[in-house]
Amino acid sequence: MVQYNFKRITVVPNGKEFVDIILSRTQRQTPTVVHKGYKINRLRQFYMRKVKYTQTNFHAKLSAIIDEFPRLEQIHPFYGDLLHVLYNKDHYKLALGQVNTARNLISKISKDYVKLLKYGDSLYRCKCLKVAALGRMCTVLKRITPSLAYLEQIRQHMARLPSIDPNTRTVLICGYPNVGKSSFMNKVTRADVDVQPYAFTTKSLFVGHTDYKYLRYQVIDTPGILDRPFEDRNIIEMCSITALAHLRAAVLFFLDISGSCGYTIAQQAALFHSIKSLFMNKPLVIVCNKTDLMPMENISEEDRKLIEEMKSEAMKTAMGASEEQVLLKMSTLTDEGVMSVKNAACERLLDQRVEAKMKSKKINDHLNRFHVAIPKPRDSIERLPCIPQVVLEAKAKEAAAMEKRKTEKDLEEENGGAGVYSASLKKNYILQHDEWKEDIMPEILDGHNVADFIDPDILQRLAELEREEGIREAGVEEADMEMDIEKLSDEQLKQLSEIRKKKAILIKNHRLKKTVAQNRSTVPRKFDKDKKYTTKRMGRELSAMGLDPSSAMDRARSKSRGRKRDRSEDAGNDAMDVDDEQQSNKKQRVRSKSRAMSISRSQSRPPAHEVVPGEGFKDSTQKLSAIKISNKSHKKRDKNARRGEADRVIPTLRPKHLFSGKRGKGKTDRR
Amino acid sequence: MATRLQYDNNNCEIGVFSKLTNAYCLVSATSASANFFTGYESKLKGVIPIVTTSIGGSGTIGSLCVGNKNGLLLSHTITDQELQHLRDSLPDEVVVQRIEEPICALGNAIACNDYVALVHPKLEKDTEEIISDVLGVEVYRQTIANNELVGSYCSLSNNGGMVHSNTNVEEMVELANLVQVPLVAGTVNRGSQVISAGLTVNDWTAFCGSDTTAVELSVVNNIFKLVQSQPDFVGSEMRKSLIDTYV
Repeated sequence: MVQYNFKRITVVPNGKEFVDIILSRTQRQTPTVVHKGYKINRLRQFYMRKVKYTQTNFHAKLSAIIDEFPRLEQIHPFYGDLLHVLYNKDHYKLALGQVNTARNLISKISKDYVKLLKYGDSLYRCKCLKVAALGRMCTVLKRITPSLAYLEQIRQHMARLPSIDPNTRTVLICGYPNVGKSSFMNKVTRADVDVQPYAFTTKSLFVGHTDYKYLRYQVIDTPGILDRPFEDRNIIEMCSITALAHLRAAVLFFLDISGSCGYTIAQQAALFHSIKSLFMNKPLVIVCNKTDLMPMENISEEDRKLIEEMKSEAMKTAMGASEEQVLLKMSTLTDEGVMSVKNAACERLLDQRVEAKMKSKKINDHLNRFHVAIPKPRDSIERLPCIPQVVLEAKAKEAAAMEKRKTEKDLEEENGGAGVYSASLKKNYILQHDEWKEDIMPEILDGHNVADFIDPDILQRLAELEREEGIREAGVEEADMEMDIEKLSDEQLKQLSEIRKKKAILIKNHRLKKTVAQNRSTVPRKFDKDKKYTTKRMGRELSAMGLDPSSAMDRARSKSRGRKRDRSEDAGNDAMDVDDEQQSNKKQRVRSKSRAMSISRSQSRPPAHEVVPGEGFKDSTQKLSAIKISNKSHKKRDKNARRGEADRVIPTLRPKHLFSGKRGKGKTDRR
Repeated sequence: MATRLQYDNNNCEIGVFSKLTNAYCLVSATSASANFFTGYESKLKGVIPIVTTSIGGSGTIGSLCVGNKNGLLLSHTITDQELQHLRDSLPDEVVVQRIEEPICALGNAIACNDYVALVHPKLEKDTEEIISDVLGVEVYRQTIANNELVGSYCSLSNNGGMVHSNTNVEEMVELANLVQVPLVAGTVNRGSQVISAGLTVNDWTAFCGSDTTAVELSVVNNIFKLVQSQPDFVGSEMRKSLIDTYV
């Protein structure tokens, strides 16, 4: 949060130290061994490097000085004016300007001597040029020694300046010397400003911090101001004037109504009126201090009138504040009214800042921060807090019994401190028996993870299993009783025997047929060449099984109603009687049927000249013309052994004899 | 009143290293000294059990588990010994269960009090049922200020809740109607929007990071009803302070 911190400026060495620093670095960081027998360009490079390296170091160090010191035009006007008051802007700029000039001169010297060194013709001459270059650089540095000393003094004093944030909430205390400003500062903040019973104990600005409504305020104590023309004020007073002019702060103008500061109320009122232009646009509170020595009721009529004039003047800048907030009474010795003064000043400042921020557009981005979303009930469930009874009882007691119990930190310190003490994690277990706390639970038992077999509901599962076992035993007894009933009667035994006999016969017949077949394929029943599966046989078998076959036979006959000829032929023959004559008749019938189909198929094709609807020709004449044109179009292609445009031909694209030029030397056989 | 704490050397994300509910408090076992534990012990000793534990060897237990007075759900990274340690340390009414959820940072994905839970929209359906059964809460899938990690960006108790500072008013009202407690948009640890990392709260006390400013601390105290406050405190006694701080 500290925006201006002048403690980080690097130390500025004086002239002699500066020369020693740079030349020592050159001596250490560049080669030092040279012989006159070296080539001349090597000698030149050797000495040019020294000159250039020295110049680079000078440039870097002087640039650091110029960059680290603040530029008065680019920092906050408060600090700019404060530094001007303390150090004089002109002297400050002249000093930095001289450092900059020295930097430029050194660069120029380096450039000139490097150029001369390029024309050196011997070791001795090159060395003389290097010595001259470094000497001239050091001479330039010696000339700015006073400026460097001045800048070092400024740096030391800057490092001791308080860290004032010009943009945060600020309360500024001002007034005549010896009116109690520093006492008030020490009361409301943790600062420790020196307090003495004579004027000008405070000679510079002091900063303290205080809190009001969760916000932090910086309180600035200033040196006393005397009532005299602007040009006659000294540096100490100008610090106060600068703070008043540039900080947007709540101003507490302290007024000693007892006169013990050495100045009368008339003098203090005159000061107020002479600097009232500095109070513009600032919350202003006039504080009558030392009321323990001189209560307000005892003030003379003439002084009371002066105070009323100051109050009416302050009301002009009050911007809506009530009269009670403009003129306040206080005694720092007896602490009477000190907090009300602080609260009034902070409240006035906060109101002003909030009002300014409410007018800006930035507040629209943060409207959600000023809203508490209260829920609407959506059901009848009550959601109450769950605060233990112990907490409620403790709150009721108001923690009167401040029981001192040992905390873990106390145990840690007793047992060796952090890193040594190791707390037992088991001492707070909640178990059925306390002696179970120290039981050792194995992790692996017989090669198995114990946790895999832990079941928290094991007791419930045991009860369920026992209940299921009881149910299952009752079921088994019931099943045994049912088994007694299932015994076959004599009639059922007879039927069972017949069924098994019939199945054996069927199996035997099937095996016999497979044996006789001798690798011939099994023909499905669909192609019943033996005519074994007939309606009559179905009827006989159904009658044998004791069922009425009439409905089944009618259904089978109705399905075959469309094949009357088959039925009429079959009617005259026995189902089991098969002869060759019947088979030959069937074959002839099939052959004649296929011939008839082929004739009908050929008959369904129209002649070529006949027009069929959908072909697109209006009559047979037009169709014949179209056919003739079509035949003519591919007559030529047919003559070419049926070669058409779809057939692919790869001709000789570049025959060599056509693309050869004149013959050169050698044979004429191109192969 | 809320208490300022810090974990080891100036780590103010205390919600990551602890879990506080109305029935128990879990504190990280990986702290180098007992200072962090004593911060909780001085407020909660004798009221609810304070358990020192780790989850899968990690001390960031606030991010790896979620719980309320009815139950405690732990990520699948926890070891069997740690699970048994927690079962032995907590009362029998608290159901301790390991959960096989791919999003194993349960504290970042789920925010709950004793009645309602807001969960990550991509949580599995089975996990949602387990949360409803173990914690005894109504489960809603929600985002907060377009962030799916609802557990990180909001902190709930049965008295109030605090959500991400970029949550707009309509979204706050919708969330308040879901969880049925007053909500406010705030920050902890000097402007940090990760609310539950710097704040851990139950119905009668709260702990926050030591970087928390006085304004943030006051919002916490008022919204969670740790001090006597009126419902619209941000519009009345704290309005000026909030405007001067945020704008």
